[in-house]
Amino acid sequence: MYGIFRECYVSLKLYMGNGALLVMFLAAAIYILATEKSIKKKVVLGIMPLVMVVGFLCPIIKKAYVKVFSDGTDTYYRLLWLVPIYLVIGFGACKAIFSLKKSMHQRVALVVTLAVIAITGTFVYTGQYMSKAENLYHIPQSVVDVVDVIAPKEGEPRVRAAFPDEMVHFVRQYNTNILMPYGREMVVTQWDYYNSVYEVMVKPEVIDAEALVAATRETKCSYIILNEERAIDGDLTEQGLELVDTVDGYLIYADPEVIGQK
Amino acid sequence: MHLLVLWLLIIPFLIGILFNFILPVVRRTVGITFILGYLVYFGCFEVVAIPCMLKITYNAFSYCTKYYTIISLVLAAAGLIRGLWVLKRDGFNVLSLFPGETHAGAHELLSPRSDPKMLKMNYSLESNIYWGIFFVLLMFQMVMSVVMSSFDGDDAYFVVESLLAQQADVMNTILPYTGTSTSLDIRHALAVITMWIAFIARQSGIHATIVSHSVIPCLVIALVYLVYVEIARILFRRRQEIIPVFMIIISFLMIFGNVSIYTNATFFLTRTWQGKAIACNQVFPLIFWVFLWMLEDTGHFHSTNPAKTVSDDHYMITPWVMLTLINMLAGVCTSLGIFFGGGIIALLTLILLFFSRRWTVLVGAVLCEIPSVIYLLLYLSIWGG
Repeated sequence: MYGIFRECYVSLKLYMGNGALLVMFLAAAIYILATEKSIKKKVVLGIMPLVMVVGFLCPIIKKAYVKVFSDGTDTYYRLLWLVPIYLVIGFGACKAIFSLKKSMHQRVALVVTLAVIAITGTFVYTGQYMSKAENLYHIPQSVVDVVDVIAPKEGEPRVRAAFPDEMVHFVRQYNTNILMPYGREMVVTQWDYYNSVYEVMVKPEVIDAEALVAATRETKCSYIILNEERAIDGDLTEQGLELVDTVDGYLIYADPEVIGQK
Repeated sequence: MHLLVLWLLIIPFLIGILFNFILPVVRRTVGITFILGYLVYFGCFEVVAIPCMLKITYNAFSYCTKYYTIISLVLAAAGLIRGLWVLKRDGFNVLSLFPGETHAGAHELLSPRSDPKMLKMNYSLESNIYWGIFFVLLMFQMVMSVVMSSFDGDDAYFVVESLLAQQADVMNTILPYTGTSTSLDIRHALAVITMWIAFIARQSGIHATIVSHSVIPCLVIALVYLVYVEIARILFRRRQEIIPVFMIIISFLMIFGNVSIYTNATFFLTRTWQGKAIACNQVFPLIFWVFLWMLEDTGHFHSTNPAKTVSDDHYMITPWVMLTLINMLAGVCTSLGIFFGGGIIALLTLILLFFSRRWTVLVGAVLCEIPSVIYLLLYLSIWGG
């Protein structure tokens, strides 16, 4: 049981990041408990949120959650979504600010509150997964440009193309007429699936051109897209492929043998 | 663009006008009418989309779009007719349709029969400045949702599901990652928010990925803050000048809330279009809001409140209707929302029972879970089958 409690505690710590959010939440909830006159507000914004956090740390609840949800170990933190953390902090902060008698003191307290939130928090738009949008699709422009070259025209059959792993998340967000021999399911390492094209196209440090073409022909890929920087042992044109275009640093090869079979 | 305005703003608002007679007079505001309209709008979609997905083999999405378009337009037209009828009957005044927007004037302040604190108050210059700061923060978040891009691997599934519906006319029967055919992925399929986004994409003629990444976030951000405003109206009923300050603090908590990849704020501003993000930032606060509403209705909510209730008994059923619709929205967003929503409703019902001492709240709580029970049974039957 203690081991499960430790797991819950780690989940709470991971959720709360540097801990400042947890401190603000606990401070606000305790402040509401101590000063709020309305018993209902005291219960809903003071007692209940604290009970929910205590419940989150309770091993029995974690065991029940994991039993109900197959991915429960990874998603247990989502129970914290139910705790009205922002509501409690917001209400507690407002209550504290407006308990001050003078307007000027209230203004200063508001500025201090906002400064504390900003300094202890993390600005969402500078996060590691954030970047300036290259287009309204919010996908790399290189994917758009490459797909525009190989996409079938109206009435033509769909085409299958092997893309480098950095592109697979985005290709079908732009055009679902492009099929792929492997997709995001191969890139998520912990899933650990097997795919013959992925094995020869992504895993080796140096691609074996002959093995790659054999695998893509096996899976009926009409095109292979390679990053110009990618090390490859051999030339794909010597395997019968044609270099159609080079777009944004990506080489687009067509396989006449597969295209001819359609 | 004008089609987006039609399908994202005008039609849900007209649907809200059609049904806003169920709201107590003091809560019959523009904001709550819009929330109600959206809840009905989503509820209808769930009722249409799930049968289409499960029963129609070919061109399922086209049928879904056709049926939902008809229902939405009929409801919106009825809302328009009702709105015009009310305006003709009660006078061409915004307060005829939205009496909850009434501001406390001299008459209300002097009348012993009225409770002016339940009405909207006129704000001081300082409060108006705070409102201005909040709206700047709101606009900032909406603009950033368009000009900034956040990478999330789950988009390769959810966004592609929407695009497949728009481009291939299927409802969750093609594997998004590679494009091969697949059986219905029940774990995600019943959460039809991806299909709703595809519906908006098809009706507006805009690529579903653009709708997901650059349109839906603007709508969701505005709706989430609207819910927080309504929560604040209840919490600060007696001191309404605090509401804009509360909203500024909530905005800061969101903007600077990326303390880990797990927080509600991170989901809110980096994965806004995904069902999980809408569930934790829209659905769960909506549930809190409705329970705060019911707790306020039981009297003595505010320490100085008189014993009288703020809503007539006639309207006691309304919050439970709202909760029923919110449960449907939870299912539209994510199957997890069904479990989580049910759990938080059960917890808050116990608190409400304690304060109201009315056993009928248990009846309301059970009845509002009917859509969730049906959803769960459907989920289990397909899972088992």
